[in-house]
This record gives sequence, C-alpha cells and structure tokens, in this order.
Amino acid sequence: MKFMELSIQLFAHKKGQGSTKNGRDSESKRLGAKAGDGEFVTGGSILYRQRGTKIYPGKNVGIGKDDTIYAKIDGYVRFERLGKDKKQASVYEER
Amino acid sequence: MIKVKIIKEKDLISKIEIKGHSLYAVYGKDIVCAGVSTMVITTVNAIIRYQEKSISYNQDEGYVFLVVNEHDRVIDLLLENLISLLKELEKQYPKNIKINE
Repeated sequence: MKFMELSIQLFAHKKGQGSTKNGRDSESKRLGAKAGDGEFVTGGSILYRQRGTKIYPGKNVGIGKDDTIYAKIDGYVRFERLGKDKKQASVYEER
Repeated sequence: MIKVKIIKEKDLISKIEIKGHSLYAVYGKDIVCAGVSTMVITTVNAIIRYQEKSISYNQDEGYVFLVVNEHDRVIDLLLENLISLLKELEKQYPKNIKINE
C-alpha cells in the first residue's frame, strides 16, 4: 500500500473553475491628437483622430468622413476654443 | 460539511469513511479541511510505515475510505487517536464536521 500523498486541502471545496464570459476587447484605434499645439505640419497631415467631433475643423483645416481632422496647408497648429465649450484646430502660416 | 462514518466490528474500528467538503473557507484557506486531511494522512501513513498490509484505503477529492485489515495494539491506538482528534475538531467546528459511530 503506497503512502497517502500529503494534500492538506483534500476536503476543501474547489470553486467551480467556470469560464468567464468576458475577456474580449476590440483592436485599439489609437485615437487622439497627432500633432501638438504650435507644431509645424505640412498640408494633409492628420492633426486629430476622433469619433464624432470632439475637435472641430478651424482655419485651413478639413474634416474627413471618419471625423479625422487634417491640415490643408503647411503651417503651425493652433488648438482654440470654439464658443463656450467647444474646441477647434486651425493651421496658420505664421506662428 | 465533512461526514465521518466509523464502522466497528467486535468493538474495534474496522472501516472509516470520510467524505464531503468542510466549506469553512475557500480552497487553500480552509483550516478545518487542512486539519482533517493532515490527521487522516498522518495516521494512514504511520500505520503503513508500521505494518504496510494492515491498512488499505482509497481516496478521491473530498473522499477517503479506510479499511483495517489487521489489528494490534499499536494500530488500534493510532486509529483511536485519530477518532478522538476528529471529535475534538467536531466540538470546535460543529458546522463543518460531523462524526457518526
């Protein structure tokens, strides 16, 4: 007769190792600012990736169909207030 | 709750069945289970070490069944000691262990 193996939780209840229904996540879309305030950018550069218009297009700035904000000309980026509680991004030729 | 059933023949312990979960705490922190497991394993291994063929057991998660094949003073003392310790434990943790003779 071989020795009993020492297991000091022989009479303990193992909680059912059920699976969880979580554990999924979508691919991160790297949203947010792609250019800083006062930074020099070239025309066509993306300034801000967003869902919806957190940042509105200002001077010399366009908005894509996925709400991406981009520069229309070479120049310096300026993030400005728009009205009471909104923001816009503009590009100016001079700093 | 852990249930301990003691079967005697001619006033000697011949079989012991221990089954169930003490449910005192979660796995890994269940001190009552640790006590029972340690007492049973210590007794069985001591008897095997003393006289291998005198006891046989089968074991599963939350279940141990012992059969005493041979009796002598040492074996019976070890088994009596196990039962008296289990009874002590039952007094301290009546909700987690129950002994039937």
